[in-house]
Amino acid sequence: MAQTTQQKSLVRIVEERCKGCELCVVACPQGNLVLSDKLNRMGYHPAVWRYMGTKGACTACGICYWVCPDFAIHEVLVRT
Amino acid sequence: MTERVYMKGNEALAYGALKAKLNAYFAYPITPSTEIPETLAKEFGSEEYPDFKVFLQAASELEAINMVLGAAAGGVRAMTATSSPGFSLKQEALSYAAGMELPLLVVNINRGGPGLGNIAPEQSDYFQMTKGGGHGSYRLIVLAPNSVQEMASLPKLAFDLAFKYRNPVCIAGDAFTGQLKEDLIFPRIEAAEYDVSSWAVTGAKGRERHVINSMNLDPEVHAKHVAHLDEKYKTIQRDEVRYESYLADDAETIIAAFGITSRICKSVVNKLRRQGSKIGLFRPITLWPFPHEEVRKLTEHAKRFLVVELNTGQMVEDVRLGVEGRARVEFYGKLGGLLPTEGEIEDKLRTIEKEEIAA
Amino acid sequence: MTTQEPALEQYRKKLGKLEALTDKPTHYCQGCEHGELTRLIANAIENLDIRERTVMIDSVGCSVLAFEYFNIDHIQSPHGRAPAIGTGLKRVRPDLIVYTVQGDGDAMAIGLLEVMYAAIRGQPLSVFLVNNAIYGMTGGQMAPTTIEGQVTTTTPYGRDIEFTGAPVDASKLVSAIDGSAYVKRVSLAISEIETAKGKTYSIKNILEAKQAIENAFKVQMMGGFSFVECLSSCWVNWKLPTMEAKRFVNERLIKQYPLGTYKDKFGIEKK
Repeated sequence: MAQTTQQKSLVRIVEERCKGCELCVVACPQGNLVLSDKLNRMGYHPAVWRYMGTKGACTACGICYWVCPDFAIHEVLVRT
Repeated sequence: MTERVYMKGNEALAYGALKAKLNAYFAYPITPSTEIPETLAKEFGSEEYPDFKVFLQAASELEAINMVLGAAAGGVRAMTATSSPGFSLKQEALSYAAGMELPLLVVNINRGGPGLGNIAPEQSDYFQMTKGGGHGSYRLIVLAPNSVQEMASLPKLAFDLAFKYRNPVCIAGDAFTGQLKEDLIFPRIEAAEYDVSSWAVTGAKGRERHVINSMNLDPEVHAKHVAHLDEKYKTIQRDEVRYESYLADDAETIIAAFGITSRICKSVVNKLRRQGSKIGLFRPITLWPFPHEEVRKLTEHAKRFLVVELNTGQMVEDVRLGVEGRARVEFYGKLGGLLPTEGEIEDKLRTIEKEEIAA
Repeated sequence: MTTQEPALEQYRKKLGKLEALTDKPTHYCQGCEHGELTRLIANAIENLDIRERTVMIDSVGCSVLAFEYFNIDHIQSPHGRAPAIGTGLKRVRPDLIVYTVQGDGDAMAIGLLEVMYAAIRGQPLSVFLVNNAIYGMTGGQMAPTTIEGQVTTTTPYGRDIEFTGAPVDASKLVSAIDGSAYVKRVSLAISEIETAKGKTYSIKNILEAKQAIENAFKVQMMGGFSFVECLSSCWVNWKLPTMEAKRFVNERLIKQYPLGTYKDKFGIEKK
């Protein structure tokens, strides 16, 4: 949890809405989103977000928010 | 307009609707109903009818009735008029209106059918209007005028019933009641105010949103909805039957007719009464709900019914339902747009009498 | 419920819940552009602050359940009739903002007259067309916008235009009518682009669509008829994997139906 004090951004996902379509996974320029192994109530593998992605830290660009067709990517927050 | 006027049935209907505070009319021309939109087009913008705010000619019968649907969903008084082939086209929208519980008025000026038929009067849409026409479990409230006077007074009743029950209402004219010119003292019409705030689509300001919808994918929810509609129709059947019973209280012979034919039948009744016959006229005004109960009551003294219609036998089936085998039911039909003469009807009655004596 | 929960007071919301949306999970297939369109419309409604006077006319097709997702007044419509219902409502209540969401079959086949006449009349109304070149809800039959050679359940050997006619260009048709005020074709599918770092995905299309949809509402408020055609994918009925379906939109459908502004009578894009 120590990393949270350094995180400049935060993306909140409503797991139960996610259908595992992977649009956010491919669209994120920093690779911050992956499909998790767990299953949600609808039977899909929901996407999860992490601050440090495969190509860098999340910049709160909001691309994942705009691309999600299910409003599962619920909020994009920036540190004040 | 309080003086004596002389006008066509279609015109009288248009004025009757205006006086009932019609808000919107969506038009498509078809003979013999076209005088209705033409009259309304002329009166559009008149200071005498400030509630008449929208007149629009649509590009098809389908567009017209769906515009009426949209306006009705907004909670206003909307109507359109058509004639048999156009009425066929409107069935889907009427089914939707009943399922979505929207009040609207559709006028059908019945002409010759099936197919293109002709533009002369028939009463051959009786089944279509009273027994469905569109898909699904719903009913249209159907009112049948038989005079220019009634063409003027029924629109107000139609709107009252439409908004009271949130259901589409049909005025069943025919080419005669539509085209006939008669003099009348225009009836005094007090337009009512209807409260639509619980369902009308007016923008979800300060309230929960309203969804006007006839779809329920969950079978249990749909079953509840259809049962609710059915309850409504049962209430209408119990409370809203209207008919005219003329010299029928002690009659042994009843002539049953609606619309223009009832006028001829009334003359027959008067003539035969003068000759000593115990004969009367029964005229349903609401074709749906049909006065089955009243017909059944008549069988307490009536031995025979002659149903006269401009078709091959449609209302006669409802009369038979009401009679329940307790009396004889005969039919006389006139087709193609012709009207039966009094002589023909009297001949038919004589034939029936002869058959009874011979039997 | 959510993935991480650090101290939220330290953050401010940059992008968040839209008022115009309900909380109901959608019935749309994974990755379907209908969901995208739903968000973009809700976003426009919020930006323009018109939620309390906006009405949606649903149509028949995959959009038939759309009333579950928008927190505004709705009227359901028979197949193809949505612009007529919208016209009827708008004429009696001109203060309302009325829009329809229709599929390519609803708007360009059975409902062609209703769309054309709304344009002919210059009726203040917004029609959002989801063009995925197929009849989705009913299981993948040929649509007016199905392209030549495309395999569907009623053209199992590929669409033969000698036999069935050529694909219909909705934006061209609607823009040819004098009365239409704003006609734009956009793509809602994310596109693959080549960058110095290699292949990546861009949402440029979606952001353009976002603006087009907002413009469409603005044009209606200015008294014009607006029409936004949104090229979309239907991977289930096209029988392609999701990302390949998106590629099909941005490589092949776009060739048949070029993106762009086909009409802008009020110059809304220059404002």
